[in-house]
Amino acid sequence: MNQAGSSNQNYNQTLLEVRHVTKTFGSMKALDDVSIIVKRNEVIGVVGENGAGKTTLMKTLVGIHEPETGEWISNNKKVSFPKGPREAAQRGISIVYQEKGVIPSLQVYQFLFLGHENQGFCSPFGLKKKSMIREARKILAEFDIKCEETAYMFELPLATQKMIEIAKAVLSIRLEQNIQSDDSIIVLDEPTAPLTIEQRQELLKEICRMKKNTSFIFVTHIMQEVMEHMDRVYVLRDGKLVKHYNMTNEKVTEEDLTEVIIGHELLRTQGEAIQEASLFGTTVLSVKELSKKGAFYNITFTLNKGECIGIFGPEGSGKSEVIKALAGIIAYDSGSLTIGGLKAKPRDSAHIRLSNGVGYFSGNTEIELLHDWPIRKNISLLNIEKITTKYPKLLSFRKERQLAQHITKEIRIKTPSINTIVSTLSGGNKQKVTVGKWVEKSPKVLLLEDPTKGIDVGSRADIYETILEMKKKGTSMILVGDDPKEYITLCDRIILMKKGVIQEIISRTKFMEVVKL
Amino acid sequence: MKILHKHKQENGSLWHNLYSFSSIMPIATAFLIILIFQIINPAFLSSQGRVTLVYSMSYFLIVACGLTLVIMMGSFDFSVVSVMKLSALICVLYIGRFGYWVIPLSLAISMFFGFINGVLFAKLRIPSFMATLGISVVLDGISLLISRGFLHIMNDQLFRSLSVTFFAGLPTIFYWAIAFWFISTFLALATPFGRRIYAIGGNAKAAALSGINIDRYRIIVFIISGFMSGLAGILYIAQLGGASSEMGEQLMIPLFASVVAGGTALKGGVGGPHRTLIGVVIITWIQAGVLMMGAGRGLQVALMGAIAIVMTLATVDRRDASNRIVK
Amino acid sequence: MKLKQTLSTIAAFIIDLVRKNPVIIILVALFLLFSILYSEQFISPINLTATLRQFVTLMLFATGPSIIMIIGSLDLSFVGIWMLGSTLLWVLMPYLGLVSILVIPLLGVTTGFILGIIHTKGKIPSFILTLSVLVTYWGVTSMLTKGHPNVVRGFSFITARLIPRIPTPFILSIPIIAVAVFIVTKTKFGTYLCAIGSNEEGARLAGIPVDWYKIIAFTVSGAFSGVGSMILFQHLGGSTPVVFNMNDLVRPLVAIILGGTPMVGGSGGPQRTILGVITFSILYRGLYLSPLIPQVIDLVVGIVLIIAIVLGSRSIQLKGVDIK
Repeated sequence: MNQAGSSNQNYNQTLLEVRHVTKTFGSMKALDDVSIIVKRNEVIGVVGENGAGKTTLMKTLVGIHEPETGEWISNNKKVSFPKGPREAAQRGISIVYQEKGVIPSLQVYQFLFLGHENQGFCSPFGLKKKSMIREARKILAEFDIKCEETAYMFELPLATQKMIEIAKAVLSIRLEQNIQSDDSIIVLDEPTAPLTIEQRQELLKEICRMKKNTSFIFVTHIMQEVMEHMDRVYVLRDGKLVKHYNMTNEKVTEEDLTEVIIGHELLRTQGEAIQEASLFGTTVLSVKELSKKGAFYNITFTLNKGECIGIFGPEGSGKSEVIKALAGIIAYDSGSLTIGGLKAKPRDSAHIRLSNGVGYFSGNTEIELLHDWPIRKNISLLNIEKITTKYPKLLSFRKERQLAQHITKEIRIKTPSINTIVSTLSGGNKQKVTVGKWVEKSPKVLLLEDPTKGIDVGSRADIYETILEMKKKGTSMILVGDDPKEYITLCDRIILMKKGVIQEIISRTKFMEVVKL
Repeated sequence: MKILHKHKQENGSLWHNLYSFSSIMPIATAFLIILIFQIINPAFLSSQGRVTLVYSMSYFLIVACGLTLVIMMGSFDFSVVSVMKLSALICVLYIGRFGYWVIPLSLAISMFFGFINGVLFAKLRIPSFMATLGISVVLDGISLLISRGFLHIMNDQLFRSLSVTFFAGLPTIFYWAIAFWFISTFLALATPFGRRIYAIGGNAKAAALSGINIDRYRIIVFIISGFMSGLAGILYIAQLGGASSEMGEQLMIPLFASVVAGGTALKGGVGGPHRTLIGVVIITWIQAGVLMMGAGRGLQVALMGAIAIVMTLATVDRRDASNRIVK
Repeated sequence: MKLKQTLSTIAAFIIDLVRKNPVIIILVALFLLFSILYSEQFISPINLTATLRQFVTLMLFATGPSIIMIIGSLDLSFVGIWMLGSTLLWVLMPYLGLVSILVIPLLGVTTGFILGIIHTKGKIPSFILTLSVLVTYWGVTSMLTKGHPNVVRGFSFITARLIPRIPTPFILSIPIIAVAVFIVTKTKFGTYLCAIGSNEEGARLAGIPVDWYKIIAFTVSGAFSGVGSMILFQHLGGSTPVVFNMNDLVRPLVAIILGGTPMVGGSGGPQRTILGVITFSILYRGLYLSPLIPQVIDLVVGIVLIIAIVLGSRSIQLKGVDIK
């Protein structure tokens, strides 16, 4: 499918141009006079903090949101914005959403054609399922997706689901345009979020391969992807377009980019980590030959006071299961877990582990916070003992208020008040609330799983600072994540796992060598 | 950094809680209803009228408070009416054999079935909707069995005095109801226990990770609900003086309606017994008012259906409306 | 060789069917149990007729709501449509004659449409809304009938015996059920309902006009309840219903869930509900034949239902959804 010869004269042709796009929600300007251009055979990056307007912009391009002002230039003429995903697909643009894009209970072929059945698959006798299945098989083969077209979406691994979403986006343009042209644009809204490092590499390789026929708009947080794979980058901040880089011509460093995104100088680079070796003393947690069938085997290590150990490994290494077993979220089969000298039971649930001194939190805000509650109540729930009057045991609203105000200030949660409902906060600030409540709780051991998942750089820096403070004060930690830089920032020792077993336990400096940083 | 969505606030102190839109509407509606009925039938608020109103609402309020706690926690309890019925029947049928021990006996049985509900739900992971529905079928069967379908009269005057003794123009059952309503409200709003119940309703996974023993609290709340239903049954038969297995046939719908109309959403995590009071007032006073007007059962029931819709419409938090996906 | 191949294909098909519909195990178990215990009475033409009658009642009630359950909502108005529809028929008979039976599906469609609009635009949860409508309709029925069952003559042809042993309402219900199954499994509409139930936001993002489809779904459900009630009216006695029996409301819902349509929606529908209704009918008939007194039967039904539902609810854990 090499069309390089024929498309040479069309190289760099503008496929999409929108100017002066403004979108307001209530009194809040989500987009303020934004203009972007997408040319043929390009991968454009759109970056910015949470709430900068990236997703809103994408949604205006595919007709989910209607902008107040804005010009869509097509063939040098001004046309209206598309009224919905179908019209957008007719113009050659479709989107793969960050979340909520997949319909779990549908079969693959149903999902692939969802919304576009009218393009030849409807008849008075119902849907033409046989031809849908046939076409589905073809496109799965084209994208090299290994699954049955009659499989249910929920049965498939996340990476496969993502690839199917991409195939659906490409397919929807083809169906609505009735011809296979090179003029399509696929918008990818943070597609790599649910994926592991290897899966991300695979996806990015795939996108570079597809660049020959399709242009991409890539919305992302992950700096590494931006630096390595984008042709041009647009930076959004507070709804405004603040900078445009041509990555092939200009020399841009990651720090430059990060500073433009946040809007001020980084307070600390992420390479440093504070280590107070003198605090490492007593053993607070010890794991011996911990095993769980199908997940991990013979895990043995000890955690000392004030130390942070990272468990690192590829997908399927078992690191996530290990930390969840330590947290009490899943049970382990055999082996022993000793916390502060006391033996824990394999089937204890999370609240028992907490009473033993082991806390856990993850970057998955869905299960971490009560979204309809104000910040104040979220912080106090974990620390209820601290806001009760002595006798009788009643709630003290005054103590609750003071506690919440104290934490909000310390962690720099950006909010007008402690009574703000959590669901209206941005992702980074939500996570700060979670971190805040654990700072107050100050358990002996804190387990962190993906603590800064999907969070913008500014909030991430603040959170790292807070975590390191806790570490200095004596909280011991275990970290599981995806980004080697996070391990280097926070951990003292790293456990390397693969296929469920420990390969090696190495020091931070050795780890830096291993990941070549 | 600009914050995108309009920030929603929830103020800390109890008083602020009462001023929000969804709190004012039910109270305003209640006043409106009282006004309308008083105009239509001046006897509505007479001393006789007041007593009728109070009789219709007191036992109802007690059951509704227990049910409110369950719903706040995010679950359902469909067995409350059946427990109440069984408790009433046990009192009337066995007072001859056991004397006043029937009171602790029916309370114990009610709490026992509450415990069963809790275990089915928390330990066996049967959705509360189904578990309590099943238990209610079982309980109805037992009620039918022991009563053999007949109406039974409670003759013991001392027992009846539990509900029908008058103080300051109102029967004791009213004071029981207010007392337990107050206790439930206090429990919900001012204790760590209540806060935890709201947490489980708001997001059970987050509550588990915050050190709350979900299973234990769930069981306890179902036991409380059973207790309240049992208590209501005892006071009910003391008030009415007779019971059969037909009793309370159509109580379930008004019960749910009054909890939801008061402002405790079915999804859990919000509302509370303080809200339910208003809902109960609205629902039961409408019923009583219509009865006093002389209208037939049919009109009553139809009116109630219409009011439930209007109440829910009025109390749905409009600001939330665009975000919530309604099922 | 060919025989072996055909047999193993059939075997694979059956195993796959059972895995997708675990309720079949219960169905077969109950069938065998009662066949052994009460063989003469259970495997008899009389029992077949009675079971089919039970099937018709449950299935015609359950078809509409099973469609709504696919989008994750509840439609409790079907009993109200039946009660009020029958009453309106009795009211209109003297004026419009036999044609007045059409008032029932008309009521159903209108009710469904209005429900759909109030639910989507007024953002009222379906449970409370349809419950309120049910209660309101029952109230109006009470008012109109003044509490007496009023017989309506002229529709006995609906239950007149055509084929020996097979109740005619059963035959009449087959096309209704078939249309329902076709709509849900073979049309774009059916796919969209599953999508909305599975991930409403995702369906919206895919360009599906969710509100519009929800309104259509409620209208269709009302239509099926209405059309079904035309048959049920005569099948259940040919007079205006007066008493509201909780069983009429609860049993069809239980049959739907038993059949494998999860309460959270996303899959299932009338095709699954058929199995649930058959299972329930067999259960009930079997218990009826036993020497247990009616009160105890209700008790036993309750217990058996709990057990069966535990098995059913296990499959709901599919999406890791926390059902409260």
